Amino acid sequence: MSIDALSASRRVPVAQEGTARPSPARLLTRSLGRVLSRYWTVAAFVVAWQLWSWLTGYNQIVVPPPAMVFGDVLGNIGAYLPDLGWTLAMSAGGLVAGMALGTMIAVVVWSSRIVSGMMTPVALVMRSVPVVAMIPVLARVFGYGWFTVLVITTVVSFFPAFVLVGSRLRAAPQATSDLMAVLGASRSTVLRLLLLPHAVPGLLVAFRLTAPTAVLAAMLAEYLMGGRGLGTLFAQSVSFHEVGRAWGAALVATVVSVACFVAARAVERRGTVRFS
Amino acid sequence: MPARSNDLALPTDTEPAIALRGIVKDFPLKRGAAVRALDRLDLEIAHGEFVAILGPSGCGKSTVLRLAAGLEQPTEGEVLVEGRSPAELIRAHRLGVAFQEHALLPWATARNNVALPFRVAGREVDRERVDALLELVGLAGFEDARPRQLSGGMRQRVAIARALALEPDVLLLDEPFGALDAVTRRRMNLELARIWMEQRITTLLVTHDVDEAVLLADRVVVMTGRPGRVLHVQQVEMPHPRGGEVTRDPEFHALVDRLTGMLDDPEPVAATS
Repeated sequence: MSIDALSASRRVPVAQEGTARPSPARLLTRSLGRVLSRYWTVAAFVVAWQLWSWLTGYNQIVVPPPAMVFGDVLGNIGAYLPDLGWTLAMSAGGLVAGMALGTMIAVVVWSSRIVSGMMTPVALVMRSVPVVAMIPVLARVFGYGWFTVLVITTVVSFFPAFVLVGSRLRAAPQATSDLMAVLGASRSTVLRLLLLPHAVPGLLVAFRLTAPTAVLAAMLAEYLMGGRGLGTLFAQSVSFHEVGRAWGAALVATVVSVACFVAARAVERRGTVRFS
Repeated sequence: MPARSNDLALPTDTEPAIALRGIVKDFPLKRGAAVRALDRLDLEIAHGEFVAILGPSGCGKSTVLRLAAGLEQPTEGEVLVEGRSPAELIRAHRLGVAFQEHALLPWATARNNVALPFRVAGREVDRERVDALLELVGLAGFEDARPRQLSGGMRQRVAIARALALEPDVLLLDEPFGALDAVTRRRMNLELARIWMEQRITTLLVTHDVDEAVLLADRVVVMTGRPGRVLHVQQVEMPHPRGGEVTRDPEFHALVDRLTGMLDDPEPVAATS
């Protein structure tokens, strides 16, 4: 009995400590393990990159090692930030404009069959022609400046919002539509009280799909037309043989695109829960 | 509120609240063929009366309700609600309706869902009435809950409160508890009996649940299978208010058994009537 009691008295506090208050070291290992299990591919990518630059023995001008690129980004962050901010502003502006335009035209198409017949081919053309092919044409029309970058990100952001909002506007639950009919709702009331809120999840999906694309489209336009932004930074660094800077710009662009996607997905999840 | 029923339905004494006369309803199929859902159906409902339509599934009983709600047009015959076409009543926002699906707006709170008819009618939301209705259906304290956070029975309560929001002349209920489990359904039936006692609105209930029909209605209309016709009209004499004890009454069970028998095998009875 005494041995049992002794061992029990010894065991209990240990168990309590283990469950209620994990030591800071264990907490750190646990969260580190979680991060590692989720994002080990990123680490593996950096390792592979390092190995590649070592094993091939290419000149640093061809393949700069990760340390050089990360060093340039972290050490000269001031060289990146203004261009990054500019590109993000262009992306955000185009994203908002494109999604607003897509939603508006989806509503117009919903309200009128004639407009629907007019708009759908135009939207399909905008979708089918690759952005790269559109950029020179748009640049010729709107000039080689920031406005054209904005136009291009708008064009890229337009289509998903147009299609996804449009399909939600036509897919309201039958019982709710019947209810609105019996309550004597006019078409505009149905749109305002039922269809537009019902379309919000579609708009959120469009947002998730478009946010990273808008950043890439802005960079592509900047790369091809010059001016300001990450794309131009990349183009100029390449032409001045600043390999670390060029790769750094690419790295920043990648990280920003992924961050945009993750953020947009979080917004979509929260919003979808709210609206369905 | 007393002047309410006078300003719309003038001949209140002679006209029934709902009248379906000689209704034929065909639904078109492919290649010009049509299926006849209702065949020469006649039905009149008096003011303040609670009528339940009972029938096997697919007999067109929901079509009767959709005709009265103005959601369908009859192929032949006329539908009058308060002496007018349903469309006129809808324009005046005088119809209340609840379906099997609750049809609540998922992004709106219980309070805002009940307030929806006010917003649709372009009237200022009567907050006191909305809260009183939520209390009437037993949802005091859940005003700010969203449909996702409510149980199936609670969602139907919100739907019924919403149907009552604008003090409608006519209440149309299409299997409002059809998606609920038996226990919740029975409780909701008793709740509806209590709510109806307080409101006394002309009500048309469509159901395939015989207990529900007998418990709630002044009159039960049994329909035949497709094409739907009135097979039998059963007056339910038990006095209101009907509580849970009614369901233990032998008279109640005799009535339920008789009506169930008609649903099981309608043809021989149809021959005699």
